[in-house]
Amino acid sequence: MTDKKTSRLLTSPYIAWAVIFILVPLAMLFYYGLTDVNGGLTLDNIRAIAEPVHLRALLLAVVLSVVSTIICFLLAYPLGMILAKHKLSSQGLITTLFILPMWMNFLLRTLAWMTLLENRGVINGILDFLHLPEINIINTPGAIVLGMVYNFLPFMILPIYNSLSSIDDNVINAARDLGADAWQTFFKITLPLSVPGIISGVTMVFIPALTTFAISTMLGGSKILLIGNVIEQEFTLTYDWNLGAGLSIVLMVFIVVNMVISAMSEGDDSSERRNVKRFFSHTSGSDAGSGKDER
Amino acid sequence: MRSKIEKIYMGIIFVFMYAPILTLIILSFNTSKSRARWGGFTFQWYINLVNDNSVLNAMANTLIIAMVSTVFATVIGTLTCVGLMGLRRRSRTVIMGITNIPMINADIVTGISLMLLFKVLRFETGFITVLLAHITFNIPYVMLSVMPRMKTINPNTYEAALDLGAEPFYAFRKSVLPDLMPSIIAGALMAFTMSIDDFIITYFTKGSGFDTISTKIYNEVKRGIQPEIYALSSIIFIAVLVLLFASARMRQRQAAQRKDVALYKVEKRISKGKAAVIAVASLGVILLAMYFGGVFTRKNNQLFVYNAGEYIDPEVIEMFEAETGIEVVYDEFETLEIMYAKMVQNDGAYDVICPSDYMIEKMMNAGMLRELDLNMIPNRKYIGKQYMESARSFDPNNSYSVPYCWGTVGILYNKNMVKEPVTSWDILWDEKYSGEILMQDSIRDAFMVALARNGYSINTKDPAELEVAAEDLVKQKPLVQAYVIDQARDKMIGGEAALAVIYSGEVIYTQRENPDLAYSIPDEGSNVWIDAWVVTRKARNPEAAMKWINFLCRPDIALMNFDFITYSTPNEAAREMIEEEDIRNSEVAFPDESILDRCETYFYLGEDGDALYNEMWKKVKSGK
Amino acid sequence: MKKELIRLENVSKSFDGELILDDLSLTIHENEFVTLLGPSGCGKTTTLRIIGGFETPDNGRVIFDGQDITSLAPNKRQLNTVFQKYALFTHMDVAENIAFGLKIKNKPQDYIEDKIHYALKLVNLNGYEHRMPGSLSGGQQQRVAIARAIVNEPKVLLLDEPLGALDLKLRQDMQYELIRLKEELGITFIYVTHDQEEALTMSDHIVVMNQGYIQQEGSPEDIYNEPENAFVADFIGDSNIIKATMVRDELVSILDTDFVCVDKGFGENTPVDVVIRPEDVELVPRGEGTLSGTVSHVIFKGVHYEMEVQAGGFAWLVHSTRLYETGSEVDIKVDPFNIQVMNKPESEDEEVLAKDD
Repeated sequence: MTDKKTSRLLTSPYIAWAVIFILVPLAMLFYYGLTDVNGGLTLDNIRAIAEPVHLRALLLAVVLSVVSTIICFLLAYPLGMILAKHKLSSQGLITTLFILPMWMNFLLRTLAWMTLLENRGVINGILDFLHLPEINIINTPGAIVLGMVYNFLPFMILPIYNSLSSIDDNVINAARDLGADAWQTFFKITLPLSVPGIISGVTMVFIPALTTFAISTMLGGSKILLIGNVIEQEFTLTYDWNLGAGLSIVLMVFIVVNMVISAMSEGDDSSERRNVKRFFSHTSGSDAGSGKDER
Repeated sequence: MRSKIEKIYMGIIFVFMYAPILTLIILSFNTSKSRARWGGFTFQWYINLVNDNSVLNAMANTLIIAMVSTVFATVIGTLTCVGLMGLRRRSRTVIMGITNIPMINADIVTGISLMLLFKVLRFETGFITVLLAHITFNIPYVMLSVMPRMKTINPNTYEAALDLGAEPFYAFRKSVLPDLMPSIIAGALMAFTMSIDDFIITYFTKGSGFDTISTKIYNEVKRGIQPEIYALSSIIFIAVLVLLFASARMRQRQAAQRKDVALYKVEKRISKGKAAVIAVASLGVILLAMYFGGVFTRKNNQLFVYNAGEYIDPEVIEMFEAETGIEVVYDEFETLEIMYAKMVQNDGAYDVICPSDYMIEKMMNAGMLRELDLNMIPNRKYIGKQYMESARSFDPNNSYSVPYCWGTVGILYNKNMVKEPVTSWDILWDEKYSGEILMQDSIRDAFMVALARNGYSINTKDPAELEVAAEDLVKQKPLVQAYVIDQARDKMIGGEAALAVIYSGEVIYTQRENPDLAYSIPDEGSNVWIDAWVVTRKARNPEAAMKWINFLCRPDIALMNFDFITYSTPNEAAREMIEEEDIRNSEVAFPDESILDRCETYFYLGEDGDALYNEMWKKVKSGK
Repeated sequence: MKKELIRLENVSKSFDGELILDDLSLTIHENEFVTLLGPSGCGKTTTLRIIGGFETPDNGRVIFDGQDITSLAPNKRQLNTVFQKYALFTHMDVAENIAFGLKIKNKPQDYIEDKIHYALKLVNLNGYEHRMPGSLSGGQQQRVAIARAIVNEPKVLLLDEPLGALDLKLRQDMQYELIRLKEELGITFIYVTHDQEEALTMSDHIVVMNQGYIQQEGSPEDIYNEPENAFVADFIGDSNIIKATMVRDELVSILDTDFVCVDKGFGENTPVDVVIRPEDVELVPRGEGTLSGTVSHVIFKGVHYEMEVQAGGFAWLVHSTRLYETGSEVDIKVDPFNIQVMNKPESEDEEVLAKDD
């Protein structure tokens, strides 16, 4: 509808913007990551991931984020099913209530758990009052997992709920009609049909959990170093930018490889994460209809 | 039965999600600072919050960044989507692919890459850089919302409008834009939400003296949880709640209205009126935010001050501003290493800084500092001779720095929990106190403890000795509750831990709050330190910086600071004016020679030494 | 008489306090093509879902082959459903869709292969085994849905507006195919639609429903020619439904003009409704008919002209192959056999029933 010249005119500001603020920064990252302090080309910053210190931080981050993702999934899936079953609309009160904490500042949500879990915190205060033994979970990996689950649970609920509620009731009825019992229907129909939602949810939880440094700092008492903390400290504490950039590249590649694997298993493009991110706007307000257009 | 289980399940998740938030809200009304005890109802924290300019500024910054970046992103994103339709499929795919990069990338990578860009371009980090970053990650949200809708729009609509003689822009506005509007609004809302909630990207691209609500909270939390933050949480939560339900109500009403065609025109008129109101309101908020946010940073008469956390009486800053007419932009750092990293990133970000001895030496060596204009600092004469003498260890001519505070490092312990006398660092390795020990989350102080314990110099560069110290620290790690800095104070007051490595300056304050606490400098020796004000070489307002230092040396001001922060002052005149005799002659604040003899100052270890310590520290932190 | 297969006894069902089915009883025989016909919201789909087992009635029983199946789960019933909008499993290809029911029943692999082949041939989709449902047209998806249901050899096939989403031409083709299928399979079809033409074309037996009640049951001819009330008359085809008075047996006063009819037993001077199909209204030159009027509208419909005639204060709908120009003065004449006299609804309730949707 627009001729070539107008099109170019309209898109050129963004193309310029994208080059300057998306591509060039990534080039910078690679430049810093692949050079040393004196500007000489080196792979040391990439290889540094193999150092025990870094490898351990990466592995720990992977373990904690995987555990959190699994817990989020196990909590969110039944909830998504209940919400979808009762035809609770995505803009309805109850569904909104489960998504609502997402709009609360992420650091405040983490702070809440700090307050609850501290040795002399709220939970122990209550336990003490009831003459029950206290728990000491703050500053352990468990507390970090808890923080991740709490922070990212809505990001899992929403896409799962979304994909479950988009399954036509009659598809479920058809399976029942063809002789499948409730379990068979779930494993052969409901679960496979909700896979796109699950993948979205998993990506939405796994990536921020893997790369976080705020949660581990706040709930881990600076005792537990995740890969996010290592990278952050290279920039804010030890100012070894080259190393920080190198590790960032490793992290980026790690994530991209993961996304590609999950995308291949689904045969879909890598748009899952953004689909979900986009969905929030529909629940946060405005026209719900446009959300479905993309599918 | 089944539905009962479902309800219970929903209930459990509901409680899991809301109990923490509810706790924050309840605590925001708690008179007691303790998290475990209800001390009565109060609005005090809300009042404090409203009076806290830095929080208001951060809120204003958050809103203005969100609004401006949303507007930019929406306009650019929408125009691009329209333009893309006229391009070849290949170029369209490439552009959309690039657009997806910030969506898929982890925020930390996006943040760091932008930070590197700004560094290379020598942008002054601050409002503008954060805004650019936010626009960058917001455009994709708008485009990914608008693009699918754009594809469904029939080009005939537009062509029909042109056919009827409409100007191209008019045709677009009348025929295409209304169809796109819902998705544009959806994208804009999305962008706005993401901008408000962002922490990581802002964290890496923000500069000195600039905070959004996220980075502000992060700083505050690292310093120790203050009830004001609970008040802030409650306000944010209620605001979110109100906005969300208001928008839900509005949608419902609109949906009901849409059914009635007759009402359509009325609705349209109303929505025009509404749009006007919203436009005026947003403009108002932006102006207000600009007023509070100090958006246009770097006015001529500004002084950028960089100091350790809670290391000054805020009233002193106000008095300085009132007396000199200079506006102070005040930032706090957590550790000297973080401060130095910031200086490496932008050595002109601050005019006047308050580092410690070894760091001053390091900065001098790096050429970051400027010689003081001593004529402008006559009040320096109030600083005690012995302190000036000590300061020569890092500033040989006393020409770069003026001492501000000094003190020792020791163990603060809770007499109810530690019944034995505390005479040795060894107690920090005692399994009895597992989970009750707070260590300093700063490289030199942590290693000092381990080095002193082994009888090594706290300035050693011997890898073997450091190896031993690092091993000790790794061994100690399971016993340590947390590595903290400013939080140690609150945690000790709250009885969170039994033992903490702490600066002597915190002792008087913590004892005032909790009389069970006692301080000891172990027999193996410790660190004695001096913090002093220096002026950066690239300072843009050196004159104001000199005035600042001079002002702080004034005895009445030094006394005010001492009363507030309770760190030992080298200002003899001020010390004379301390009213309480037990404090004036306090063993903790002003230890006698016998104690100081066991203590050593830190020296700058050189680049190699720093690298060695950094490496060892990382090993400790990631160790089991 | 054919053997009885399904019987609904006094079935009631309400959703959210709204009564959808009210004390409905219905008998369906073996090897019949039964159509449940009615406007949306009449309860026809709910009836079907109760038979299929997707809803449980609040009251009443469902008897299948002599057994009470009222609360039997759908997977245990010997019937299969073809759903509105097909409800195919989008994550499986055509063959997997068709094999689904057989695999659940653990049939041997070669049996399943044979069945898939047979079913695809039956619905004219040979060679489509490994296509994904998303890549098929609406008509093809519909065929897959039918194939998926019939491979399980149900005694009854339930079809819930299966042609609703197809375009006109395809719909007509599919109607013939369904009839052919039913003949070949020799099983009972229960078919739900709101399209009266579809019902008349395919059914052996039509059940007209409205607002939760059965309005009339019978063969297509019965339903068309002898509607029992104004609702049925109006719903099945175009018609002139006029308030009238039965003067005496075989004489009815329509719009204050007496017409001879064949109906008896309504009593004298009883208010009634009469139905006259538009093709049964004859237009004759002025003076030759019973009632005078003027042509007010003419539309050419291809097979015939559709005309509106103002006569006696009523707008008559007339179908005729002979054209009278707008403004023509004509007379109306009706053959006594073509006047269908119906009782007026007696109670308020029935009034409601008789009202158009």
